[in-house]
Formats: sequence, structure tokens, C-alpha cells
Amino acid sequence: MIEVKEQIDVPSDPLSVWEVLSNPHAVVECVPGASLGELREDGYYDAGLLVTFGPARITFKLRFMLELDEPTLSGTVISRGKDNQGGTRVRATMKFRVANAVAHAGSSIFIESGVDISGRLSTLVRSGAKRVVGRTTREFADLLAARLAGATVA
Amino acid sequence: MKVYQRLARAFKAEGVTATFGMMGDGNMFWVHELHKLGGIKVHEVRHEGAGLGMADGWARTTQQVGVATATCGPGTTQLATAFVTAARASSPLVAFCGEFPTNDDEYVQRLDQSIFATACEAGFVRMATADAADDAVRKAFYLAKTERRPILLSVPMDLQQQEWDDDEPYKPSETLFTQGVVHPDQQALEKAADIISKSKHPVIIVGRGAQWSGAGDAVLKLGDRIGAIIATSLLAKTFLSECEYHAGISGSYATKGALKLLQEADCVIGVGASLNRHTTEGGYLYANAKYVQIDSKPHVIMSGVRAADCYLHADARVGVEALEKTLAARNFKSGGYRTPDVKAKLARHWDDTTEFPIDPGTVDPRKACMLLDEIVPSHIGMLSGSGMASGISQMMMVKRRSLMQAGSFFGCIGQMLPAAMGAVVATGKPAMLLEGDASVMMHLAEFETAVRYNMPLLVICLNNEALGAEYYKLDVKKMDVNTSVIPCPDLGKVAAAMGGKGAMARSMDELARAVKDWVANPGPMIIDLRISRTVMSVPYRRIHYGRED
Repeated sequence: MIEVKEQIDVPSDPLSVWEVLSNPHAVVECVPGASLGELREDGYYDAGLLVTFGPARITFKLRFMLELDEPTLSGTVISRGKDNQGGTRVRATMKFRVANAVAHAGSSIFIESGVDISGRLSTLVRSGAKRVVGRTTREFADLLAARLAGATVA
Repeated sequence: MKVYQRLARAFKAEGVTATFGMMGDGNMFWVHELHKLGGIKVHEVRHEGAGLGMADGWARTTQQVGVATATCGPGTTQLATAFVTAARASSPLVAFCGEFPTNDDEYVQRLDQSIFATACEAGFVRMATADAADDAVRKAFYLAKTERRPILLSVPMDLQQQEWDDDEPYKPSETLFTQGVVHPDQQALEKAADIISKSKHPVIIVGRGAQWSGAGDAVLKLGDRIGAIIATSLLAKTFLSECEYHAGISGSYATKGALKLLQEADCVIGVGASLNRHTTEGGYLYANAKYVQIDSKPHVIMSGVRAADCYLHADARVGVEALEKTLAARNFKSGGYRTPDVKAKLARHWDDTTEFPIDPGTVDPRKACMLLDEIVPSHIGMLSGSGMASGISQMMMVKRRSLMQAGSFFGCIGQMLPAAMGAVVATGKPAMLLEGDASVMMHLAEFETAVRYNMPLLVICLNNEALGAEYYKLDVKKMDVNTSVIPCPDLGKVAAAMGGKGAMARSMDELARAVKDWVANPGPMIIDLRISRTVMSVPYRRIHYGRED
């Protein structure tokens, strides 16, 4: 299990941030290589994700569900899927919470992710997978911050 | 005549010219008889496993059955890692092993050698009676040749001492079968041609099977016709690199520039290559490609329990020639990958420009590899081990050489020094081995064997005084890397103490001087090259640090 904890500070107020994070379309636009499909009857979305692990570029077919708790400005993304060759499976849970930033104007987003990769790829990427997950999280933060750059601090 | 004498004569009749091993109660009379017979170079080594490793190197080089020997029980158990390595390398070997006496169940060196062989992925033949001596030897050689793996020939000590009174000549294993060339099925050829003719970006991956069958010219001709990039498996490194559209090794050891091109492939043609997880990155490197695989085995499953879209059961050379003719009959000709832009991208694509600080008193191993490639002439062979540092030599040393071998069959360290010694015995020509310090230290005693037989082998120890792989795996997890650091004595002095030549090199000048000295007068030599731990191989950067170098 790859576990990643990140704190992302953005110069936007919590409600503006929440508006983005509670919108699956907006979230997917902040994930490099991700694409959003249809909402299924079981509450899951179909999605795709292109990930580069060293020499390998892998397209995952994913299903994810977004559970939101607006009063606490927190949520959970539950996802699972496999690559387009079917040799690798991935299960991931990402919990996030938005709060007023303490040390600066704006918001802090607290993210805790757990990603489990099994199958062929897991033996090819080993420790590098954690770096890739961490890098993807940071790229998400950068894209999210850029998207929120226009929002004003309350 | 005793049975052990007949057994020795049977080995000679099989065409054996060299053996590697250690004498003990269970095999000593047989070894003694080999000496007496003449015509067989008996190499007495310092560790039975290393002896089998030498026989393995001999077999990989000659494609003939290599022969090792060990005494019963503890001598045989020393063969374990070398057995598995040889099995993974598909090396035909026969290991003559003594077995405890049939009339003494409490013998101190007793061992069920059948179970041991099975666990080591080796075949097993037991001489159950003295009368079966010829049959046992013949069957062992037959199995080694047809199954292409090591066979443990287990011969009870007491049976060896019985009388042999049959004066009929021994019938070698070659009388049991004919080794013909496998020709491809026309229907399969047409299917392969259908796939290839739809391809805009074909890649031909050549492996050892292509080399062994002499498929080089045929592959180059096919590549010209279809506009293919040519790449190799690790084991066929630099094969056909005279082609301007050669991308080096496919898979984990591919350079970044090559990877960008290979990833665009829509058709992969494997020629005598298993297309395993390393060569195809578990299939992910060629995610959008159709596969054509040409191999002399009835069928081969690729990485991930996948089968090629078209499997062409054929000798590599014959199969490629037939495929090229089939495409020619269709008037198919394509530029494919072969554009000035691709050629430019493949020019010196192996250069690694990432900068690292270099520890004092050490050299950048990448610069050392480049220097070695430059100053060691192409008639001198090259072998490389499987540790972290080998990733650097595999990717950066690209000169075509008379002998090129890589060792990564079982993911173990220490096996390539013996294999290199076996290869040098086989060719009788000078070769250099690039190997890490932990590997060299593991079978260092065998350098004395190299000295005793005056083998023209240069061992270049890429010495970072650590278990290199573990050092970086600990580092990436932010654990104490010093637990993997092991100080190393001056191996140049050790080599000299063993009667060979030796040098310590802590600079490029010292390395160049020592290498030129050896090239001028090849013999057994170790150069202890101190390399900086700060420099990591490209595969390690990718696999363990998630970098895209």
C-alpha cells in the first residue's frame, strides 16, 4: 500500500475550493492524464488515467465514487480499476478536507491517499510507484492552485 | 576396466573437451581417468558452484554441452545457485556428481540428489546399476541437448568401482536424434505478412536465438524492406548495431530516446527472443503493437501469459528469410520508422547527461564505461554482471565485440566471474568482465583458478564498497544506507598476491593506464575501480525513484 499525505495551500477561500473539489468534472481536469466518462447507476463514474512509470505509459480504466460531507468540507474519493491490458489492478482511496489556512490567507487542503497496485506493474515499478503517486499529487495541487488563482480570498 | 573408467570414456566420446569442478570421494577416480585419457582439459576449481558456473559460461559461448563435476552430498549442494542460473540461461550442461554408496544408508555425505536437482530446476539421471553406465551418460547428454538445461548425472560411488566388461564402442547421444532446421508454415507466414504490411512503425527485436541461427543478414534485409527499428534483448546486446536504425536494448535498459520511439510501435517482430517482462516492460512498452514472434520452440508465451498475434514456429534465420520473401512477393516495401528524424534521434542516444557530484577518490562510473568502450579493442570480448552498476555498462558500452554476454538469469550476484572464465576457456581469447564488488568478492578465490590456467581475463571491479542495489533501495525508503556499506580490500593487491596482475584505479588516468597495460599483454588481472555511489544507473532511477531519465 502506497500512502501519501499532502497539504496543499491555495490562495482561495474554503468555499471556492470546495466548489471545485465537489465537482468531479473540475477535479478530473486537475489530474494530469485523467479523463471523465459517464455517471453510472451505481453512483460510480467511469474514468481513464494515463500514467507514466519510467519507460512504461499505462492507461487505466477506472471507476470512482465521490462521497461528500459539505458541513465539514470533506470528502472521500474511492476508486478501482485495471490497466488496458488487464495485468495490473489499482485500488485507491483519497480523503480530503478543506480548512481555513492558519499561517496565510486562503485555504489549506489536507489529503491522505492510499493506493494499492497489484499485478505485473507492481514488480516493474517497485519504490518508484510511490514517487509517481507523490508526483501526481503535487501536479494535482499545482493545477488546482492555478484553477483557483482567479478566486478571491473571502 | 572399472565403471568409472568407462564413464570417463563415454564423456570423451560425447565430444567433451573441457570440464570444471572439484575432486572428492564421489568423483575423484572419474576425474583421474579424464586426466589419463588426455584430450580433455580438466579445470580444478576452488568451489563446485563456481565450476558449474564456468561450465555454464562455456556452454553459453560454444552452444555445446558444458561439463561440471562435484563429489556427492556437500559437493553437490554447492551447485544450487549455479544450477538455477544455468537452467534460466537455457544452458545445456551435464554435471557428473558422485552419489553416496548404495550399500550404506548412514553414509555421512548422503543426500537425495534427485530432490535437490528438481528444486534447482535441473534434470536428473541416476546410474542405477553398473551395467547402465553407457545409458546414463547418453541419456544425460540427450536431455541436456534437447531440453537445454543442466542435467545432474548422479553416480553412486560403489557402482563406479564395479567391473565393466563390455567392449562395444560407446554410442554418443547424437545417435539418438537428428537436429534439423524448423521451417515455417506458409499459412502462418501469410498471417505474419498481413500484420506487418499494415504496420507503419515496426520494431524487430532480436534475441540470442537470432544470433545462434545466424539470422543477422536476414533480419537486416527484412528491416530494410519494412522500415523497422532494430532492438535487442539484453542477452543479444549490440547484435546488428551496425544498422543506423538500431535502438539498443529493448525494455528496462532502453535509453530515454529509444523509449520514445519504441513506444510508438504498432508491430513488434520478435526473432529468437522470448519477449519477456524485461524486454517488453511487461508488455507496457509496446501497448499498441501487434506481435509476430519467430522461434524454433513449438510455442513461447510472452510476458503476462500473452501469446503473439502470430507465432511463427521456425528457425530464426529460415523464418525471417521466408517472411521477407513473402512480403517481397506482395511487392510490399515501406519506409516505416526510417526517416532522417528517427536516425538523428538514435545517434548517440545512450549518452546520459544527468549530473551527479562525484565522491573524492572515486570516478564517475559512466565516464569509466565510456572510456573502456573506447580504449578496449573490439576483438576483446565483454561480459557484464547483474548488479546496480551493470545497468550503466549495459546501456553505455555499445561497441560491437567478438563476444558479448550479460548475466541476469536468476537475479543473483557472483555468477558472472565463473561464467566469464568459462567463456574465456571456450574461446581462448581475451575478454573483460565488468562486475560489482560484492559479486567479485563472492567468488574471488576463483581468480586464483584464472591465474593457474593463465586465462586472459580482465576483471574490472566497479567497486562502490557497498551492496549497490540494497544501498539505493534503502535510500529510497529513507533508511540507513550504511547498513549496506562493506569496506573492501585493495583487490589489485589481492590479485597480485594470487599471482596475477592487479591495479587500483581512483582516477580515469589510472584506469586508462591499467587497461592499456592489460590490452598490450592480456592475462589474468583485476582492476579495482573505485566508483562514486552518487551515480545511479538509469534503470534504478526509474524503478526505485520514479524518474523518467
